[in-house]
Amino acid sequence: MLKMNHLSKVYRTEVVETYALRDFNIDVKEGEFVAVTGPSGSGKTTFLTIAGLLETFSGGEYYLDGIEVSNLNDNARSKIRNEKIGFIFQAFNLIPDLNVYDNIEVPLRYRGMKTAERKQRIMDALERVGLSSRARHYPAELSGGQQQRVAIARALAGSPRLLLADEPTGNLDTQMARGVLELIEDIHRGGATIVMVTHDPELAARAQRNVHIIDGQVVDLAEEPRFHAHAAEAAHEYR
Amino acid sequence: MQIQPVLAALGRHRLATVLIALEIALACAVLCNACFLIASRWQLTRINSGVDESSLAALKLTGYDDAKADDLNARVLSGLRMIPGMQSVSVINAVPFGEHAATAGITLDAAGQHFGAVVDFYVAGPGSFQALGLRLVAGRAPQADDYQPVHSFVPDDASVLVTRALAEHLWPGSDPLGKEFWVDKFHFRVAGVVAHLARPGGGEGGPGKIEWSVFVPGQPGQQLAGVYLLRAKPAQLPRVLRDARAAIARIAPDAVVDSQASRTLGDLRQRYFQQDRAMAGMLLGVIAALLLVTALGIVGLASFWVQQRRRQIGIRRALGATRRDILHYFQTENFLIVTGGIALGMLLAFGLNLFLMKHYELLRLPLYYLPIGAIALWLLGQLAVLGPALRAAAVPPVVATRSV
Ligand SMILES: Nc1ncnc2c1ncn2[C@@H]1O[C@H](COP(=O)(O)OP(=O)(O)O)[C@@H](O)[C@H]1O
Ligand SMILES: [Mg+2]
Repeated sequence: MLKMNHLSKVYRTEVVETYALRDFNIDVKEGEFVAVTGPSGSGKTTFLTIAGLLETFSGGEYYLDGIEVSNLNDNARSKIRNEKIGFIFQAFNLIPDLNVYDNIEVPLRYRGMKTAERKQRIMDALERVGLSSRARHYPAELSGGQQQRVAIARALAGSPRLLLADEPTGNLDTQMARGVLELIEDIHRGGATIVMVTHDPELAARAQRNVHIIDGQVVDLAEEPRFHAHAAEAAHEYR
Repeated sequence: MQIQPVLAALGRHRLATVLIALEIALACAVLCNACFLIASRWQLTRINSGVDESSLAALKLTGYDDAKADDLNARVLSGLRMIPGMQSVSVINAVPFGEHAATAGITLDAAGQHFGAVVDFYVAGPGSFQALGLRLVAGRAPQADDYQPVHSFVPDDASVLVTRALAEHLWPGSDPLGKEFWVDKFHFRVAGVVAHLARPGGGEGGPGKIEWSVFVPGQPGQQLAGVYLLRAKPAQLPRVLRDARAAIARIAPDAVVDSQASRTLGDLRQRYFQQDRAMAGMLLGVIAALLLVTALGIVGLASFWVQQRRRQIGIRRALGATRRDILHYFQTENFLIVTGGIALGMLLAFGLNLFLMKHYELLRLPLYYLPIGAIALWLLGQLAVLGPALRAAAVPPVVATRSV
């Protein structure tokens, strides 16, 4: 589903060059649930934005669903984001000017879907996240947990093949975090491939596979136990 | 881009939306009326005088002894005819674009009961009809014995020519030849109809009444003296007029040339409409300033919104919006606001027009000004929003993940 070979990403400013990712290799199979962990600044978000075609990369190869994406133009990338990928962000990223219903409708409209189908999908998605009664509320009128569930409903409504979540529970308390994770697991059971960045070892443990990133590279925790301690420490700092 | 979601989001920014829509409404109202005013003025400046303007000049004398008017006429007519290039000299009481001389209300019956119109009388001596170059469309040109003595400001009983416009107003649908009308005891009979002859002055009396004038043949005398119609080839006219003014000192040392009124007709016309042109220029300035302010308002608000919504734009891009979708979003938003402004502006335009009609003799705003004004504002809005909208479309999707 998602395969990166020797991928690199350099951020250049006038003074410095930062290698956010270097010789980055990963292979996520269709239907897999992968948790990505790593210390702050290690490149997790960078990996996710490249995986989600939100950003281009500097070198290497990236195959998404078998397609080499570096040659795609902006419109083609938009179309793939719209049709194949669902995003869940730490900051929820709902559109404050739109109510819950209209928020969930945004990606469906960009897909050019008919009104009746949009409505059906929105109501189904709201039902699944348990917010059917809040369709006309605005994001500011909802709690953090509810907002994140709306964001999940927005991803869900598009039936994405790939769900990318960047610390989806980072801004939530344990109780709410659990609810959100259950929904993600639910989506996974529905057949979607999930890549979730998290600081929480407990959440990471519930994924099928953990990928650890340090300094822009994937490291094998089993083979390099010294990194394990480092990672746990970093995670601890964040709790 | 669909309208509904844009409208829904706009509902969350009512104040700014309403303010900018009001600005557009005001611009629409002023634009429509100002354009109409300019067009009306411009229309006025284009009036057809019906005479050979480029060949004609007026010469007005004052200060002479009324009792010697006959003698003055004789001296001036014969003296000026000697000037090389002078084609004709005749006596007349007024010229188009000059001062009014005889304006009066006419009645269609001797008893003075049936009011006809307020008209201007051109009382003019032999040769003037030909000199003016009036175009006869019915009846006959004045004959030698039509030139009656003038005891008061017009002859007592005269065969006259009216303009087609006046004939149609007084006797719509019927043959004006032989028709009669009166001013108090003075009696007139229509002997001919001319295609055009504008009143002296310019557009007074309002559009449509510009040509309500009557040509009255009259014998020069005490009541018909002092104003002379000169005719020469257009190229020679300014020189001929100069020579004529210079010659007066010799021919009629007892009279003074009124230099304001003694000009070529082209010159008189030019001066007559100077104010209208200045007014049109000022209105154009007002329109330009208003459109500029409106455009700046739109640019300002749109730029602010693009800045404010950077993250939201990034989110939309992440969710699959193309650059074009974002561009269209802002264009649609602008279209909706401008449309709201235009709708209100049309009502305002009519209100303003009613006010102007009441106080400034303006006609009713023709309906076609509204769609033209609307299109102009839509274009202005789209032009103004293009820059900010393109900036919005350039916001990269990665903004959704990184709070820049
Ligand atoms: N737009 C950018 N410009 C320059 N450096 C950046 C930019 N975005 C991220 N970085 C750098 O790239 C590295 C990886 O960042 P990120 O992927 O956000 O890490 P993580 O999500 O693991 O905390 C960091 O050193 C960060 O400072
Ligand atoms: Mg991050």
